[in-house]
Amino acid sequence: MALTTAPDPTRRGTGSVRPDATRRGTGRIRHGEGLAGYVFLSPWLIGLMGITAIPMLLSLYLSFTNYDILTPWSEVEWVGLANYERMFTNDPSWWHSVGVTLRFALIAVPLKLAAALGVALLLNRAWRGVGLFRGLFYLPSLLGGSVALAIVWVNMFNREGAFNSFLSLVGIQGKPWVNDPDWALETLMVLAIWQFGAPMVIFLAGLKQVPTELYEAAAVDGAGRFRQFVNVTLPMLSPVIFFNLVLETINGFQGFTAAFVLSNGTGGPVDSTLMYTLNLYITGFTDLEMGYASAMAWVFLIAIALITVVFFSTGRFWVHYSDGEEH
Amino acid sequence: MHPATHPTDSAPDGRIYRTALLRRRLVRGLLAAVVALPLVGAAAACGDDAASDGKTKISIFWWGGEARAGLTEQALELYTKKNPDVTFEKTWQANQGYFDKLATLTAGGNPPDIFQIDDNFLAEYAARNTTLDLKSYQDSGKLDTSKFPPSLLQYGVVDGKLAGLAAGENTQGLVYNKTLLEKNGLPEPTTGMSWEEHIAWAEQVSKKTGVPGTQDPSADYKAFWVWLRQQGKDLYSGNDLGFTAEDVTAWFELWKGARDRGATPPPDVIHEGNATDITKQLVVTGKSATSWVWVNQMPELKKNTADELGVIAYPGDPSGQWARASMYWSVFRGSKNADVAVDVINFLANDPEAVELLGTDRGLPSNLDLRKVISDGTTDEAMQQSIEVENKLAETFGESPQVPIKGHSKVRAELTKAAENAQFGRATPAEAAAQFVEACKAAIAS
Repeated sequence: MALTTAPDPTRRGTGSVRPDATRRGTGRIRHGEGLAGYVFLSPWLIGLMGITAIPMLLSLYLSFTNYDILTPWSEVEWVGLANYERMFTNDPSWWHSVGVTLRFALIAVPLKLAAALGVALLLNRAWRGVGLFRGLFYLPSLLGGSVALAIVWVNMFNREGAFNSFLSLVGIQGKPWVNDPDWALETLMVLAIWQFGAPMVIFLAGLKQVPTELYEAAAVDGAGRFRQFVNVTLPMLSPVIFFNLVLETINGFQGFTAAFVLSNGTGGPVDSTLMYTLNLYITGFTDLEMGYASAMAWVFLIAIALITVVFFSTGRFWVHYSDGEEH
Repeated sequence: MHPATHPTDSAPDGRIYRTALLRRRLVRGLLAAVVALPLVGAAAACGDDAASDGKTKISIFWWGGEARAGLTEQALELYTKKNPDVTFEKTWQANQGYFDKLATLTAGGNPPDIFQIDDNFLAEYAARNTTLDLKSYQDSGKLDTSKFPPSLLQYGVVDGKLAGLAAGENTQGLVYNKTLLEKNGLPEPTTGMSWEEHIAWAEQVSKKTGVPGTQDPSADYKAFWVWLRQQGKDLYSGNDLGFTAEDVTAWFELWKGARDRGATPPPDVIHEGNATDITKQLVVTGKSATSWVWVNQMPELKKNTADELGVIAYPGDPSGQWARASMYWSVFRGSKNADVAVDVINFLANDPEAVELLGTDRGLPSNLDLRKVISDGTTDEAMQQSIEVENKLAETFGESPQVPIKGHSKVRAELTKAAENAQFGRATPAEAAAQFVEACKAAIAS
């Protein structure tokens, strides 16, 4: 139903209107139909209101209070902007967690996208068994943000872990990666990059859409492999790159599970893995400062929204849509 | 949507009219169902609380392993046997995440009638009036504390209110690997050794065995606390810190010296051992010869290693240690069945059969008469060891400190951070100490 009523952007301005759309809305059953729509929507609607919208609004309210979970609602005090003020002026660990999260996202997201694109290029050929490799490369991202995977990671990258055993084979003295404040976050980045399967699959689909005539034309004009990649593949792929970039950036900022498991929920060693969301969780549930944690959540939401807006506004300078319309 | 239900013709024939009618009925039916569902839910929820048949259901929540769950369930069954009108809704889980859940249950207005809590959180809950003040029950004799050691009982008092009843007693214990020492002909450490002597002993162990002699406890609040008390200071004093940055510097310097002498493991291994998880304690993972734990954790530690373990008090004057409530039973202040709930915790503490069932899983029984019975009857060697050490220490126990104040969980986390900063050489002991004290002040002020 949603499909038939949604405005179709490709038909915008062409003057073509679906014939049945003109007849709808004039019948007597219009009222009943709207109602039916809401009834059928109700499971989703109730979920949205109960699980997302109302709690979000409540947390907005709580962010202006000193709510601490244990105190009954009736005794919660309004503190105005105090929580926000404290965050920006008087909380070094908040700033620290912002730094950790930015570092994580700025390094892990581009590398993950590069890995995804690189492997997608390799797999975009008609080799025998290429399907198997696509499956294998996709596998890690199926495991997603799972706890089990994070536990495996800890055991692979500690002092006696498999990675150090491998290094010692080639004569390199390893480090206690996950337990070293200089390397713990980097270990988490490697984990994130390793799970490049999801953007890779999207890149693969994008690559398949690039018309082969373009490559042929470029080849006729004397363009080598690299020129073809820069002048044909990248521009044609830019909407897909854009999509992956936005999605992975948001995901990168929200990293939680691996950091939580690796540090036993503390953000250690020495706060090196204190990601924003982990800090928020500790503030809310261990320190019981739920009002302050709510304020942190809202600042986070606004920051991510701003970053997304920045992406969209710069997008028109480098994202090319091949359908010929200017977006 | 199925095309048949889509009236695309302006002149409805009979078939379409019928489907329209049918659909209208369907819509009404669905609507009714949507509206009615929550009502049904609410009615069912009401049914839960209504004690129309004279029965009372007490919800109870604790953390621990399967062994504890088994023992506790048996003890509660015994209560039901003696009081057939009372049944229990039992919930338990591992330590990690327990307090998140307890806080969430409380926030949701649905906390358990009885819950297990420890001194890290007792003041947080008591200060917010979440716990029932048990004083009046104590006065009326419904809660019998006459056989409790006074200091243990006192350790459940926050702001003059009895916020929790000690479910067991324990104290700090230094656990060492006996097998390793015997194999290398090394002396066992003894209670009363000074901190210097302990570090010298650990250095000797490291040199002879290749296994670091002692875990570096500088990130461990309970070791820091004992050390402070031996210096005539305390962790808290009223609503303030009981120590200064100079004290912390001295503490960090002490352990920097130990690290420099090779008495402790490298910093990343120390960090591993700083996890509160019993299975990660270095004495059972073989990464150091001693670990800083609680005495009642001995049996659990023993299960995780094939080596023989010994346990003594922390170094220095043993009067720095005190009879600590390993954990408490608290009653939710808003409980509708508070009287019954108090009777249940009274039963768990004072009924001979129940105490015998529970054993020393939550620490030594708080009731001194029954503690003697249990100590004499136990056959588990690790348990005997911990009872023996604790009974010996009971003669020298100092006065109980005040229960840790609101903000304590943050103070603990900050101590770990500061100590690890110093261990990894990212800050000098003095710098780390200054940061720690500043962070603590912010934590307990907010």
